[in-house]
Amino acid sequence: MLETLSVMGQGFISALSPINLLMMIGGTALGIMIGCLPGLSAAMGVALMLPLTFTMSADTGLIVLGAIYCGAIFGGSISAILIHTPGTPASAATAIEGYQMTLNGQAGKALFTACYSSFWGGLLSCISLYFFAPLLAQLTLKFQSAEYFWLSIFGLTIIAGVSSKSIVKGLMSGALGLLLSTIGLDPVSGTKRFMLSSYFAEGINTTCALIGLFSMSQVFILAEAKIKERAKAAKVTDKMSLTREERRLIRPTILRSWIIGNLIGILPGAGASIACFLGYNTSRQFSKHKEQYGHGSIEGVAGSEAANNAVTGGSLIPTLTLGIPGESVTAVLMGGLIIQGLSPGPQLFNAQNAPMTYTFFAGFVLVQFFMLGIGLLGCRGFAQISRLSDAILIPVVTVLCFVGSYAIHKNIMDIIVMLSFGIIGYLMRRFDLNTAAVVLALILGPIGEKGLRNALRISQGDPRILFSSAVSWVLIVLCILGILSPILMNRLEKKAEKDAKENVPADSEIE
Amino acid sequence: MKKAVTFLLAMCMMLALAACGGGSSSQQEADGPFAPNGPVTMIVAYKAGNGTDNTARILAKYAEKYIGQTIVIDNVDGGSGSMGWSKLADSKADGMTIGFINLPNFNSSIVKELGTYKTDSFAPICNHVTETSIVVVRADETRFTTLEELVAYGKANDGKLIASTNGAQASNHIGAQAFANSAGFKYIDVPKGNTSEELTSLLGKEADFCVVKVADISAMAESVKVLGVFAKERLAEMPDVPTLGELGYYEDWLGSSRCICAPAGVSDEVIAFYEEAFKKTMEDPEYLEAAASFATDYKNAADTAALIEQQQAFTEGLASGFWY
Repeated sequence: MLETLSVMGQGFISALSPINLLMMIGGTALGIMIGCLPGLSAAMGVALMLPLTFTMSADTGLIVLGAIYCGAIFGGSISAILIHTPGTPASAATAIEGYQMTLNGQAGKALFTACYSSFWGGLLSCISLYFFAPLLAQLTLKFQSAEYFWLSIFGLTIIAGVSSKSIVKGLMSGALGLLLSTIGLDPVSGTKRFMLSSYFAEGINTTCALIGLFSMSQVFILAEAKIKERAKAAKVTDKMSLTREERRLIRPTILRSWIIGNLIGILPGAGASIACFLGYNTSRQFSKHKEQYGHGSIEGVAGSEAANNAVTGGSLIPTLTLGIPGESVTAVLMGGLIIQGLSPGPQLFNAQNAPMTYTFFAGFVLVQFFMLGIGLLGCRGFAQISRLSDAILIPVVTVLCFVGSYAIHKNIMDIIVMLSFGIIGYLMRRFDLNTAAVVLALILGPIGEKGLRNALRISQGDPRILFSSAVSWVLIVLCILGILSPILMNRLEKKAEKDAKENVPADSEIE
Repeated sequence: MKKAVTFLLAMCMMLALAACGGGSSSQQEADGPFAPNGPVTMIVAYKAGNGTDNTARILAKYAEKYIGQTIVIDNVDGGSGSMGWSKLADSKADGMTIGFINLPNFNSSIVKELGTYKTDSFAPICNHVTETSIVVVRADETRFTTLEELVAYGKANDGKLIASTNGAQASNHIGAQAFANSAGFKYIDVPKGNTSEELTSLLGKEADFCVVKVADISAMAESVKVLGVFAKERLAEMPDVPTLGELGYYEDWLGSSRCICAPAGVSDEVIAFYEEAFKKTMEDPEYLEAAASFATDYKNAADTAALIEQQQAFTEGLASGFWY
């Protein structure tokens, strides 16, 4: 335990190196910009910037990605507040109260509240990252072939969560991903499968597929829409601060949203967009000023923003300790780990990798402070990005997609793969299929295949090996919950949204 | 303001483009004894930060003094190494591009036909690093504590012992196969894809034994026990561990080698120049201090060529009916 604490402490010292600090500032600022831009998600931001981290050391690279993640989740609130356009789905609930505050001429106060709550939500989420993650990491050696098989099945249940609109379409997307994941050399016997050339020996490059499916398809979608002027952000005139009473008012809201956000974050398949609605709805239920809801409540903004940023730390736990990305952002982050040559999962906490992992954690803590600082300094400026026309955005994102995929191997094939996936992604999104499910299946498919085939090799074909350990059974139960919880969550989210809308006029009448 | 933001985004694009930099220049060579007249490109077929990349960068740093030019490491990964080796084979044979080939993975890639190159597509310069394979079990293993007991147990429980490997037909699978074949027992191989998972499998009591390289267990002195080494003579760092040959099993050296090669067709002057430069580098005390963590093993061009051919014949032998 003492040893772990000292590694944690050293993590802070390493995180404070000039290059890391510089990357935190840059990453956070970039994340906020990306989050602020409607249509550019946190996942896209992380995927787009991923290639730039290849040349960095593992911890610095992870800190940049973490900074972009946190920044983007907060950044989404800026456009949500100013022009009622959530920059990311995670800020959907923020738009309800935030935009009302802007209409009341309190845009500055709303932005401050969002920034302040995001800071606390993110900072508190680091507590669970620090103290629950190592616990899970103790399981390292319990995970063998059979357990890895169940782990990947559990990961695949996220598809049910990310495709709440249509489970069938989600499963179709997942099946496509699994099929694509079989390309390359067979992991058990070394046989060539669907290989057109030796380029595909290691399978489809996940990063290329990711950039194509997430970013390039977005360019196509933007390009398809008519290039038009967006609504202008209102001029920010009021003071960007909260009084002491207002801070005291939102304190309990932030604490509740932290717990909600963290739990949702740990649950794979849930995510920030659900957390913000739950955080918002809980803040309303507990509020003493229900009459303000629907007319610009700082508690509503705080509840939503603290919850979605609390998800960040929570969602890293299954990614880093189990190697299971809970949502699309952490799926990209996991891709980043693999590219750095680190196998995500319990190995990250062994003696060799723990210093790097804790440097990343410390960086994650420090990033929250930079997010607060940059958020407060730059809110007025950030909002300007939302006013850019697509005519400027399209070429910038296109260049980043091409450069990003080429930078992986300096191989033109990577660009071809990226573009192919861009077209696939575009078509999938046009038909409401789920691109995140493809990426999940592409990452988890080989893990599951290797686990199942190796387990059956060991037992010489006896399937009982799959049900022979306690860990396997825990994972089987989690699989079942993983399938059921998003359906339940989806209902809760819809109910919360419905309640939030319905109760506003009702409340004002009662008062 | 809007212009400023657009400018910022443009800067992002520039930054991304700048990250693609690092090209190499190839220039005409003059007559007479060869000396590179520009930066030398050194291809590593694995990504930056990989074991081969790390040792290559240390070598490159100290070799610059003897080569007289900057050495640029070019990581060309993918295709289980075949992308990099294909690029090296296709490079201009002007002495400005050299690279590492990794035995026996390189030989496996030829057997699996992952590239169009063969061993004669390369002109060997020298060997850089050699890692010897070893047979390991858990330190707390009670069923067998010596290699002979392991073999006896394997024979008594034919086809029951489990060995994790670092991948199908990868170096440690070749080792396990050579050991079991020569000792005359059957086992189940469990390909894990990489050495750390291979060792996790052993420690997690899924596998009963496995074959790894000496450097892989440097931080595991208390959790694993070495039963035998794949060498002709006992290793200096583990004098108590017998060789497999001593006990009557596989008697040749087995492990992995990182050889430096040029594309076939380079002049003898080029080979002689680099052979001499790397020999001096690998004898440089400053280099030896920096390279203390791995086993530098200089071999001249002729010996390296023989090693590559011997490993090729061995791997092809394995492929024909040796696997299952």
